[in-house]
Amino acid sequence: MKTAFFLLAAGLTLAPAAAFAQNATATDSKQFAVVGSVPAICSGGALGGGNGTFDLGVLTNTSTGLLRSDLSAPARSLVGAYCSAQSTIAVVATPMVAQNFTATAPAGFSRSVDYTATASGWTANPASFNTAAASNPAASQVRATAFTGDIGVGVSNFATTGGAALRLVADTAYRGTVTVTLTAAN
Amino acid sequence: MRLATIAIGLACAAATPAGVLAQSAVATNGLPVTGSSPQICSLSSASLRTTELVNFRGTDGDTLQVLQLVDPQTLAAQSARATVLIDGVCNFPHRIRIESQDNGLWPIEGPVSAPTNAFATALPYNVAFTWADRSGALQTDAKVRRTREVRADVDSPAAGDVKLEIELDAGASNAAVGAPVLAGNYGDTLRIFLEPR
Repeated sequence: MKTAFFLLAAGLTLAPAAAFAQNATATDSKQFAVVGSVPAICSGGALGGGNGTFDLGVLTNTSTGLLRSDLSAPARSLVGAYCSAQSTIAVVATPMVAQNFTATAPAGFSRSVDYTATASGWTANPASFNTAAASNPAASQVRATAFTGDIGVGVSNFATTGGAALRLVADTAYRGTVTVTLTAAN
Repeated sequence: MRLATIAIGLACAAATPAGVLAQSAVATNGLPVTGSSPQICSLSSASLRTTELVNFRGTDGDTLQVLQLVDPQTLAAQSARATVLIDGVCNFPHRIRIESQDNGLWPIEGPVSAPTNAFATALPYNVAFTWADRSGALQTDAKVRRTREVRADVDSPAAGDVKLEIELDAGASNAAVGAPVLAGNYGDTLRIFLEPR
């Protein structure tokens, strides 16, 4: 690096000497290209406020064994995410599944909870993914410009897999995952 | 000058990778979603229902009453039968337990006479139960006034109806079969438990 700048300085100091030599006959000019490149990059940002887990606590109504209807968890924020080019935001989620009760749930029971995961703030329409849906066309959204900002990630619309009449088997750990992916266009 | 241009290009190339290596064209964040489902057993007393009733009156709250306990001619116990359904659920392997508080129908009030062959002073009855993949029976004998129970383990979560078939045989007695029953009001408390094993 140091050598390069030295050579550049030497070149600039030589140039006036050449110009002076030609002043008597004509005006001359030279153009020098200064080039560089910025690759398309994305950063998922930093997790804002607390840990990154959506902890829903007790999932069931302890009187009926059915899924609680008031389940909620505070949204999480990915702070300072950015993409230096057109980008796609995609959200994918897996159902919350009992981690210890691994056998097939008996009749009248389920070992899985579906929900909708949403990533908003990046595109006009939030990217959303419902774990019960056969397809999720809204799970991927395109932003035409480079952008930096916060992404809000939320979970909602919880439902027992298999139907609302099913009870959840007892298990101390139900777990799913929401994955948010930013992909820059090449 | 050419040399200078090349030098600038190298400077950019050297500086850029250092900043870019920490990111890439794809950035991914994974966020866990967690919860728990505690062990629950529930019997809904509000859903207690009767189906078949023979010589029984329908439920009055949580009470089942025999319409006519004795034959008015012989004073011997008359047969009576009731089928009761209760909504239940246990979301883990558990146990069902049926408990008769008094081991039969005993006088609710007043002194209890010692059993004799001449008169029945308490009336045995049977309770057959069905729950999940289990069934069993509690057979009281009314010989001694004490708690009597039957239990069965259930190996998986279960939900549905606990079915109880309560039956008082004709001539039931803690004395001789068909012995006349001493006057009085008779009763027992039947308790149904869904509980951890």
